[in-house]
Amino acid sequence: MSQLQAEVTAGPSEDISAEPSPEVVGKSPGQLFWLRFRSDRAALAGIAVISILVLLALTAPLIAKYIVHHDVGQRFAQEPNSMLNEFGLPKGPNAQFWFGADRVGRDLFVRVIYGIRTSLIIALLATTIAVAIGVVLGMVAGYFRGWVDTAISRGVDVMLSMPLLLFAIGIVSTCSRSREGCLGGLVKPGVPVVIFVIALFSWPNIARLVRGQTLSIRERDYIEANRVLGAGNTTIMFREVLPNLIAPIIVYSTLIIPSNIIFAASLSYLGLGVPESTPEWGRQIAQAAPIFEIAWWAMFFPGLFLVLTTLAFNLVGDGLRDALDPRMSTKAKKRKAEGSEDEEGVRSTTRADALGMASE
Amino acid sequence: MRKGHFFPVSVLLVVLVLIGAACGGDGDDGGSTGPTGDTVAEGGGTYRVETDGIAYTSGGDPTGEYLGLSFGILSNLLDRTLLTYYHSSGENGNSLVPDLAEDFPEVSADGLTYTFHLKDGIMFGPPLSREITSADVEFAFRRMATESLVAQYGFYYYGLIDGLELGEDPGAGGIPGIETPDEKTIVFHLTRIAPEFEFLVAMPAAGPMPEEVAGCFTEAGEYGRYVISSGPYMYEGTDALDASSCDALTASGPIAGFDPEDHSYFIRNPDYDPATDSPEVRENNVDRIEIDLNTNLADIFDKIERGELDGHVGSGNPPAEVLQRYSTDEALQPMLVTGQDDRTWYITMNLAAAPFDDIHVRKAANLVMDKAGILQAWGGDINGEIATHIQPPALTGGSPTNEEYDPYATPNFGGDLDAAKDEMRQSVYDTDGDGMCDAPECSGVVMVNRNTSPWTESEAVVVDSLAQIGIEVDVREAEDHYTIMQTVSNEVPISMNPGWGKDFPDSSSFVGFLFDGRGIACEGNYNYSLVGLTQDKADECGIEFEDVESVDADIDNCKQVALEGDLDATNQCWIALDERLMEDIVPWVPYLWPTVITTIGPAVTAWDFDQFAGTTAFSKVAVDTSAQV
Repeated sequence: MSQLQAEVTAGPSEDISAEPSPEVVGKSPGQLFWLRFRSDRAALAGIAVISILVLLALTAPLIAKYIVHHDVGQRFAQEPNSMLNEFGLPKGPNAQFWFGADRVGRDLFVRVIYGIRTSLIIALLATTIAVAIGVVLGMVAGYFRGWVDTAISRGVDVMLSMPLLLFAIGIVSTCSRSREGCLGGLVKPGVPVVIFVIALFSWPNIARLVRGQTLSIRERDYIEANRVLGAGNTTIMFREVLPNLIAPIIVYSTLIIPSNIIFAASLSYLGLGVPESTPEWGRQIAQAAPIFEIAWWAMFFPGLFLVLTTLAFNLVGDGLRDALDPRMSTKAKKRKAEGSEDEEGVRSTTRADALGMASE
Repeated sequence: MRKGHFFPVSVLLVVLVLIGAACGGDGDDGGSTGPTGDTVAEGGGTYRVETDGIAYTSGGDPTGEYLGLSFGILSNLLDRTLLTYYHSSGENGNSLVPDLAEDFPEVSADGLTYTFHLKDGIMFGPPLSREITSADVEFAFRRMATESLVAQYGFYYYGLIDGLELGEDPGAGGIPGIETPDEKTIVFHLTRIAPEFEFLVAMPAAGPMPEEVAGCFTEAGEYGRYVISSGPYMYEGTDALDASSCDALTASGPIAGFDPEDHSYFIRNPDYDPATDSPEVRENNVDRIEIDLNTNLADIFDKIERGELDGHVGSGNPPAEVLQRYSTDEALQPMLVTGQDDRTWYITMNLAAAPFDDIHVRKAANLVMDKAGILQAWGGDINGEIATHIQPPALTGGSPTNEEYDPYATPNFGGDLDAAKDEMRQSVYDTDGDGMCDAPECSGVVMVNRNTSPWTESEAVVVDSLAQIGIEVDVREAEDHYTIMQTVSNEVPISMNPGWGKDFPDSSSFVGFLFDGRGIACEGNYNYSLVGLTQDKADECGIEFEDVESVDADIDNCKQVALEGDLDATNQCWIALDERLMEDIVPWVPYLWPTVITTIGPAVTAWDFDQFAGTTAFSKVAVDTSAQV
């Protein structure tokens, strides 16, 4: 957590010369965070949307069974009431099929809802794994420096210069060839291989971020003090350095979740990774593309949910970043531009660059 | 790009894709429709075709090409066989006519000797530009005997022509059963009576090949880009080859106009003499034919509709949305053309791989399969008839139809879960008798599929149907699906990619070829179910198996019946074998007897369907160049 100082809770700026000075009450960092986050309407909207999506994801089987009465894999292709026309092409939204039917006659609403599960599971797991790896490697690189840092940093550079999609396609194809998958059975075809690939390409950025943060944190006096007092490296890393990394890690993680959702959707759009029977928005969009002119719903609804989900996570991520470190917020930048520069302002610019998350 | 920027760029990509997909299909409405079929064809012009993929089995080498489309290209344009077909639809299209030969063969009284006399004036095109001799026909059979060239249907000829066996090139005069007493005469000696022999000499692999060029290529898939034409057209750039020696040949080649992975361009063969041919067999209206690769199938049909292309070739029918557009628009209807394909599309099950080594599982698969759903995924009833047994009825005189014989009948061909479960209950893989496959072998069952439409659409139906009886398949969509299936050691349990079209209008090229255990090959195998597998063959291919039934005796019996010359009795024998296979062996879940459908562009003034090859009759098309875009 960045070093937040108690802020004066002044009332709205007005001429206070005629009034006695208000009492200065300190607020804890947590309260300050919540105050700022609460005022960010967009972020709150994002939280609301994510909550609804998570709720839908958790209750999807119940919704399918008790509310809609359609199973996720069930095809409604037989007369009467077939959802496919005489050319086997799907019919649109009606009272029973809220989003219409997909390319092979399944209930699109149910499949889009189930798709939330697929996307969230893949993105959250992949992000968690990437963060775990990235934090450890980044911390080690930034803390120990020297040849350890060089080795890890070069590794990061190599990974970052790889063409993302091409390698992802190659790895997914190779690992999907046999039932055992690759890495000695650790990475099985289907959802596991997608998680593996996404995590593989996500950890370098986190490592770089964490390394940068670690480099600056390790110079601080209290770290030096702890070392003098005889604390071991591991203790310092996990007790002193890591807590200061939490904020940027949380922010960055929240912001890469939507990237990873889209990454997963891109792979399944190309027909890789997730099998056809597993609902996934990318695959749904791919199947709908050739028939877009006659079945707009088949692409619209998965696309809508994809955009909404990624937008929500982005808004929440932005809100978190603004609330956790106000020096990087748009408001702070404006204030700086208006002339209230300070040493902290200079430092925050550097940090913002290091995070690669300049908000404009 | 840095990960941080991935999000906005990727959202942009998603939006662009959505916009692109929406706008991509925009074509002009209708367009002028040209008359097709029986009008007097105009001469000249280019017939422009695109394909979403031609899976050449041997890189275009006539000895090894075993694809309907290759047959169509070879027989119409490049390869004049002793006898050929009329390159039209229906019964006429299945009838033979002398091509390289002057007339039908003289057959000896005992039926074992066939003598052909070659026409004068039929020449190989550039760079050879010389008359074709009987030695060139003999050379084709020598190539068939050469193991390294992998003649994919050599099986028909080995042992039938006396002394023709798989091995090394026997050399000129090295096959006792083929005599060339002079340059214009060729004599075949057979070891047994074979009424299908005339069909066999009409196969493209039996067409004449020049030893001075083809003889330079001894491995499968090499000669294709050096093919010398004996037909009305040739690959563009063939004349640039230097045939003075094998080295000069490879230095001057390969032919620029043919790249099996990209394009085929045909121009007229200057050494072709129409007087040696007949317009009923080949019209040769256009000056040029272009086939280009375009992996975007939707784009191909959009171009055809706009008049930028004249046709499409490929494995499947047009996508459902194209079929709907053409069927429901009066202006477009005449440009939707069809042909009756003598073919069955099917799901094959491996009798030597669990869980399909249990006949009850195979029967249950037949009972649960939603065939109507598969047909729907293909784009509806317009695509053909649901198949209920091995051979398309057209091969045996039109019966039995799917209404006359359906051993696994279900309401509206939609599958019958209860009946399927009853069947599954009798299987060892249903350990608790609930009608669902629950043994470990029932999950993670690898199923091979194509990666093109409409197989990717019908995949959901097949996966779904099998899941209902507890068989959980793990689908592998592959571009090289045939190669995977044809390699016996891969032990693929089930696959939905294959189809089988007759090689010639006789059941011996269908049921008689596909299920002969003696025809199982470790590579290049077509008997995917391994019916008639023997221990020796299994050892050779490196697989294990338990009992697998054989129908070899039944096949031989029907061939014997065929010799007696009674067509009805012959058909009845093959039909009985078909029924035996469906009820006692159950190697397949057949699902479609397709109608070949395609669209032609508004500039096309003549088009016909080649019944033999099951594709466009390239020697019978014509275009109005002024109507081309």
